Amino acid sequence: MRALRRFFTRLFNVAARQSQEERLREEIEQHVALQTDENLRAGLSPVEARRQAMLKFGGVEAMKQDYRAERGLLFIENLLGDLRNAGRSISRMPGLAAVIIASLAIGIGVNTTIFSWIQMILFEPLPAVSGAANFLLVEPRTETGGYPGASWLEYRDLRTQVPALRDVVASQMVAFNVGERGQTERTHGQLVSGNYFSALGLKPAIGRFIRPEEAERPGTEPVVVISYDYWHTRFRGVPGAVGQKLRVNERELIVIGVAPREFQGTMVPLKVELWVPATMTPALLGGARDLEDRGVRAFSLIGLLRPGATREEAQTEFSRAMAQLARDYPQASAGIGGEILPFWSAPRGPQRLLISGLAILQGVMLLLLLAVCGNTANLMLARGSTRQREMAVRVALGASRWRIVSLVLSENMLLAFLGAGLGATFAVWGTTALRVAPMIGAFPILFPARVDEFTLAFAMLLGAACGLIFSAAPALHLARLDPQDGLRSSSNTPPRSRARKVLMGVEVGLAMVVLIAAALFLQSFHSARQTDPRFQPEGVLLAAYDLSGRNPDEASEREFAARLLEGLRSLPDVEAAAIATNVPLDLHGIPARPFTVQGRVRTEEGQDRAISNKVTPGYFKVMGIPLVEGNDFAGMHDKAAPPQAIVNEEFVRRYLNAADVMGRRIQTPAGSFTIIGVARNSVYNAFGEPAQPAIYFSYRDLPADQGEIHLRTRSGNETGLASEARAVLRDLDPMLALYDVRTFPQHIERNLYLRRIPARMFAVLGPLLLGLAAVGIYAVVSYAVARRTREIGLRLAFGATSGRVVLQIIRENLGPIAWGTAIGWVLSLVISIRTIPKSPVNLSVFIGVPAMLLGVATLACWIPARRASRIDPMAALRHE
Amino acid sequence: MVLKTLDVLGPLHGYGIARRIEQISGDLLAVNQGTLYPVLLKLEQEGAIASEWGASENNRRARFYRLTKEGRRQLRVETQDWRQTTAIIARFFKAKAEDLS
Repeated sequence: MRALRRFFTRLFNVAARQSQEERLREEIEQHVALQTDENLRAGLSPVEARRQAMLKFGGVEAMKQDYRAERGLLFIENLLGDLRNAGRSISRMPGLAAVIIASLAIGIGVNTTIFSWIQMILFEPLPAVSGAANFLLVEPRTETGGYPGASWLEYRDLRTQVPALRDVVASQMVAFNVGERGQTERTHGQLVSGNYFSALGLKPAIGRFIRPEEAERPGTEPVVVISYDYWHTRFRGVPGAVGQKLRVNERELIVIGVAPREFQGTMVPLKVELWVPATMTPALLGGARDLEDRGVRAFSLIGLLRPGATREEAQTEFSRAMAQLARDYPQASAGIGGEILPFWSAPRGPQRLLISGLAILQGVMLLLLLAVCGNTANLMLARGSTRQREMAVRVALGASRWRIVSLVLSENMLLAFLGAGLGATFAVWGTTALRVAPMIGAFPILFPARVDEFTLAFAMLLGAACGLIFSAAPALHLARLDPQDGLRSSSNTPPRSRARKVLMGVEVGLAMVVLIAAALFLQSFHSARQTDPRFQPEGVLLAAYDLSGRNPDEASEREFAARLLEGLRSLPDVEAAAIATNVPLDLHGIPARPFTVQGRVRTEEGQDRAISNKVTPGYFKVMGIPLVEGNDFAGMHDKAAPPQAIVNEEFVRRYLNAADVMGRRIQTPAGSFTIIGVARNSVYNAFGEPAQPAIYFSYRDLPADQGEIHLRTRSGNETGLASEARAVLRDLDPMLALYDVRTFPQHIERNLYLRRIPARMFAVLGPLLLGLAAVGIYAVVSYAVARRTREIGLRLAFGATSGRVVLQIIRENLGPIAWGTAIGWVLSLVISIRTIPKSPVNLSVFIGVPAMLLGVATLACWIPARRASRIDPMAALRHE
Repeated sequence: MVLKTLDVLGPLHGYGIARRIEQISGDLLAVNQGTLYPVLLKLEQEGAIASEWGASENNRRARFYRLTKEGRRQLRVETQDWRQTTAIIARFFKAKAEDLS
């Protein structure tokens, strides 16, 4: 306690320095005066009296030192001094400081941006919900590893049977058609349980939320909560929005409240605009049996962990509850267990897709930052060496080694934190740029990433780490300095610094790895636009429709698709039309489903899987995929033909050995199908993917309630078709909206969006890093050359040609660079083989990048070497 | 010692404290008077004593130090500690070989 008080007073005294000094001076004065008076009284002469008094008092300066040390905190005073000194010395090298701060800022900024995305997925899965880490996904799981969701009745049971979870909420993502007949708009909403908002701990922006009793009995309360954005775009943000009516799937719902601003539902990053009580399901979804049928597993569950309970407890209780349900309702629940998962390992949604990609990106970017650090260390080392004399003077005057180290450290730390601060600003800009991502696929997506205190702390931590890393070499170098040497040998033979060469090698090696990663990524990205997808996307218009709000049966789905196609084909500008459940090159991918095929016995464990798509007749014509064998599917109304399938060439090659393919039977969980044709291979999930086996099923056999319309135009003006297609759909059903209308090339571009962000990063950062490496090498070489002016002058005087001198300097420096390049090259080769197995090594990258790097490095050596070789030998020898 | 002096004599300036310590110790402790000031500062920063400017006996401006409540408490504690220490040491000196047998 006492020590603490003393500490704070001392801390305060550091700030108020002047007045105290004055006080001490006066006190000493008075003390000596009193003693002198006393001595005078004792009969001494005035001069002697004062002398005696001074003697008695003792060494004034030594005492003053003690006093100062006692009063303030020496450590902090030194630190402030160091910082002032650092500021001064940085302002003396504005060019170098600018390069260092800017390169660090870019490195830290990029890393912080990526970290903010990762952090969003890991730690803030639910924006606007505080304590989101306590929420867990409650996922029933089938024996085959699928996550089918939970049924409403199951949810009601689970609410009470998992005591480790304080609350369980249920929600179901639905696409509503909102608005009056003929001008509906597709809007995403969630059907939610009554405790949804209260369990999430949300407060309405205005109005109120759904009450628990409003989600008890089916169809009672026609109420809806709208999102903050929806309130602003559709109701102009007026308070009067509460109480107004909204027509949703032809039912009138009353707006009762507005959700908080940041809240975007519980399926992040999908963005939800409407929340409706789950008990409205049958009324809104055409008599859906979600509420009474245990077989309809449409709800996603989220549990809030009770304080003190662990995920393991919840898991045990959940498994027990699911086992009990399986016994009670064998028909609906047999074989279904369950898992309690944190949000980031969600089995559905884009999180999973993103997190692994982001982790790799973060790794590469950390390497980039390390390369920047290496570069900075080089620059600082070169600069530090020129300050040997200054440091030698300091040491000679009595500065301790630690003081020298702390001097260098504070200078570098100041640089690092300036860089980190600027980097954090970049990150703010970067996360905002990500927020304006367009709709991806059929779903509106909003990444709620932002720069908060965590991300800021991360940026500062990176800054501190960088500062330490690039301080280490110069600080050690200077602290080991022998003052005598430092003072004496100002600029004649320099000590050959091994540290400098090692650093140069390390830096170049790191740069090599990052550059190769960048080049590989960029190349795969660009080849995506150039490679032939083996179908013809040009001139095709895509649009989606969704009957799920109608809760249709198979027959009506088939009928609807057939009539829609008829209507579309009658349009004069349509050359061919088809419907399919999946579009190639979609961000979400086309599902691969298990199957067995007649004539093949699988030897290994597990099941064969093939990409499967359901298409209508005419699909291959629209897509421009030729059938190499057999014919197109039978017509939609054909009732005679058996269930059909068309496979691709890769399927035949892999599973059937190309022998009498036609007529073989494929068995899937959905039934048995006869192969009636073989289609050419095409690209399904990604450009550059290895050929994949695929099965096409017919819409006639397996109709679906959602479909992607594919239209090939005659004139090539596919955008003009959109309004006509809309009209066709409206004639069929005025309540349905055609959504996600885009041309096929647009579809491809949009789905490359997530890859385009890192591609742009690399496109900017790659050359920048190359430039930085060049600057680093240039600085080191020109410094080393400058130190050897005399030696070079001697050589020239003895008759060496300038060409030889240049060659020698380049050879000396290129040695460590070549080593670094080689090690970096091998490293990236190993990484690339490990991370992307089965694909051929990209030779142009693995030869081109090192060639370029070595070329730039040679140039960076050549310029200072050339300058050095041009000096007049006489001037060089007289130098100093 | 400083605390005790202030306790006995009340508020005093630096010179007075130094003189007093010399007198009491019978000039046995004749250290440099200057070393007193860092000690005074330490005590002040710990809150045991407080100081303010005032006029000395012969009308000089001097800084007077006085004991605070906290200081009195500290003095009590340290007096007790000291007594205990001396008592223990004293017992060691009193102890004779036969006492231990």
